Amino acid sequence: MDSITFSFIEKLVLAGLTLAALSSFSYEVYRRMVIVLQGTGTLPLDRFSERLIRVFREVILHEKVIRERPWPGIMHALVFWGFLVFGIITLDHFSMGFYKPILSHSAHTTYSYIVIPFSILVIFGILSLTYRRFITRPKALGKISITSGVVALFIVILMVTYLIGEMNISPLLWKVNWWIHSIVILAFLFLIPRSKHLHLVLGPFNIFFKPFDQPEHTPVHIDLEGDEDELDAMLTDLTKLTQNQALDIFSCVECGRCTDVCPANRGGGILDPKNHFILDLRQPILNNKDVAVLDQINVEAGWECTTCQACTEVCPVGNHVEKSDEIRRLEVLVEGRVPQEYQKLFTNLQETGNTEGASSSDFADSLPVFTPDMEYVLWLGCFARHGLDPNFNRSVENFTKILDTAGISYGVLEQEHCSGDPANRLGDKLTYTMLREHNMEQLAETKKVVTLCPHCAVNLGKEYEKYDTVNYTVEHHTQVVGRLIEEGKIKVQMGENGKVTYHDPCNLSRMLDIVEEPRTAIRSASTSFQEMEENGRNTLCCGAGGALWWKKETKGRTHLVRAEQVIESGADTVVTGCNFCYGMMKQGLGPMTPEGKEEVVVKDVADIIAENLA
Amino acid sequence: MKIAVLVKQVPGSESVLPINEGQSWINEDPVTFVMNPPDNFALEEALLIKERKGEGEVVVVSMGPNRVQKVIREGLAKGGDRGIHIEEDEPIETDPLLIAKRFAAVLKDENFDLVLTGLQSDDTGMGQTGVLLGEILGMPTATLAIETDIQGESIRLKRELESGWFQWVQFPLPASVSIQSGLNTPRYPSLKGIMGAKKKEIKTVLGSELDASSRSQSIDKVFVSQTSKQTEVIDGDVDVAVQRIAEILRSEIKVV
Repeated sequence: MDSITFSFIEKLVLAGLTLAALSSFSYEVYRRMVIVLQGTGTLPLDRFSERLIRVFREVILHEKVIRERPWPGIMHALVFWGFLVFGIITLDHFSMGFYKPILSHSAHTTYSYIVIPFSILVIFGILSLTYRRFITRPKALGKISITSGVVALFIVILMVTYLIGEMNISPLLWKVNWWIHSIVILAFLFLIPRSKHLHLVLGPFNIFFKPFDQPEHTPVHIDLEGDEDELDAMLTDLTKLTQNQALDIFSCVECGRCTDVCPANRGGGILDPKNHFILDLRQPILNNKDVAVLDQINVEAGWECTTCQACTEVCPVGNHVEKSDEIRRLEVLVEGRVPQEYQKLFTNLQETGNTEGASSSDFADSLPVFTPDMEYVLWLGCFARHGLDPNFNRSVENFTKILDTAGISYGVLEQEHCSGDPANRLGDKLTYTMLREHNMEQLAETKKVVTLCPHCAVNLGKEYEKYDTVNYTVEHHTQVVGRLIEEGKIKVQMGENGKVTYHDPCNLSRMLDIVEEPRTAIRSASTSFQEMEENGRNTLCCGAGGALWWKKETKGRTHLVRAEQVIESGADTVVTGCNFCYGMMKQGLGPMTPEGKEEVVVKDVADIIAENLA
Repeated sequence: MKIAVLVKQVPGSESVLPINEGQSWINEDPVTFVMNPPDNFALEEALLIKERKGEGEVVVVSMGPNRVQKVIREGLAKGGDRGIHIEEDEPIETDPLLIAKRFAAVLKDENFDLVLTGLQSDDTGMGQTGVLLGEILGMPTATLAIETDIQGESIRLKRELESGWFQWVQFPLPASVSIQSGLNTPRYPSLKGIMGAKKKEIKTVLGSELDASSRSQSIDKVFVSQTSKQTEVIDGDVDVAVQRIAEILRSEIKVV
């Protein structure tokens, strides 16, 4: 329709509407960004290229969107790719109204061979998503969203008006069609920043800035000898979101993937990460124009969190969802409101340096004491040291058998205290500081640490590094075992374990990215290894994380959900790489095994290897 | 409203308890000490009463060697206003009457409206101090309170009796009350509380300068109780068996 011209009045109206829409859009985005920048810390720019690659994979390729929910994910991708394709068409459209099209006639015709099929795919995609949202109505999406309906309608109108515009129709009809298309685009600009559709704008940036580390919480530096004003300032900061967290709040697309995967929620608890950790904070920050809102998080829900990071892992717009650390430290450090069983735990940690309040450990005494000529400090952790599940001691002994076979020297520290994991995860950063400082002293001359406890591994390594310079390396025993097998330092033969599956511990898979090593080890000892549905970084927490091992009463049955899955997998043996998972599995499998059925055997990676050493 | 809370420092429930060489008490060196858990509930109740009234003073009082300063500080960190430490030399006193007399000597001039204690200490578990103290100070006394209500110049209490029965009592202040565990949810010291506690006053009184006379009881010997099992199979008919059992009950176990 090259012959179409626009009158001065039309251009004036178009300019007015465009200016209004763009100003409204910019103002709404601006006032949110002002709030984001009030957050503590800064938005990270390190590892720039890695961040760009992540944006490419998660935005352009839609990796996470599709992986978690394949069908709606692909439908969403169609709409998104359509948007990209339409970018130049939209520019062309408006420039035609003001002056003349930016695409030449032939370019437009050629490009339309791509755009027309895409517009049909977009219609298909958006109608599928609308069907899902309004007819199927999955629980995770929450209440019916009228905005989503309006957006779907807008997108369909945009596509249809585009297609009509490509047809040979009368100039009048063409112009009416042109105006409908324009007004819908401008209306979009009004709608986007005021709704969850702001993720269109913020999503890519949020994915770019997402912390690489999970979990990522601001370290709390406590100096009891320090200045009182500094302490006050620190305590005030504890209620504030970081810039990155504030950006999360506005980027949330309300899809509910986080709540879908949450072990506390799936076990029947009240914790709903989408609302409790994200959306409950959106209105308060907008109303108060302030980021000091962390005290608005539902406390009861916060105590239910297993800190497993499944919510953070799964978020398609790059949110670090989990905020139990934030609400718990406020409860502990500022309010002094701590469940009684945890007060006992903290007292034990302060008085004895271990979770159980024990004065000594016979098991630790049975192992060689570390001397500087030895290669590894074998870090036991409270679980093994104080027999939280006495069966696990055999797993530690099996690991020492592997080390002995490979000729690797090791010894335990006599003055090993709890790594501080429970205090850290429960928000008692003061007790954590005490334990960390003690352990750093004990490890001052150490070069290599190996432990069977992923919770200890996370804390001794990357968590301590947030506070201090750590001069030793920390390895999880599955890394050592995997390497010894690959290097041929130990020989493993195929054993008779029946069907074997592996339960990925959260601290190992999501926090330390150790997924392959345990599998390498298991495959060397088992011919019939099979994965569970939720595996690797998408594993389901056993229920013990976040110090919930010590919680006396839980509303839900978080600790049984995974055990149920293990039974349903049909495996004869479940191998794991974490003492807490080991204990939790044993506790869960007993009551969940149907009568007459053989109970699934629980093993540590060290067990299955040591039992099958050639 | 001026409230005294008596807190004791006792060995933690998981701690080792080695008996000392002379078998007179335990060897304290490897022992980990904590605030006596029942006293923690008494402290919380005192803080709640003060908070409900909106005014008042909570004084944390403890007796023992230097180590007990730690539980006084803990009480101050939780919200106590000041502390009194009745310092004792080793060996520590275990006679509840003498303990009560010493507390009374220190508390009598302070004119407390209310003296709260935990129902018992988790070490010797006698449950006497609060009651004896009330008697010595001439205060009305109640034990096992599970609810407290200050009404003007008097206190109304719900007490736990046996088999699910309760009793309401009301008497004028000043009074001494021992608190049943579990009636409230003790708080945890906040960071601000811990910092603030450092600046709060702890008055030290030497126990040796207080009443040391008229001991009512003392420990002769501390030992781990020995259990043994004896089994006797009685052959013969019922009459023989009955006769033999009666004989055992009468002359060997001496219960009839």
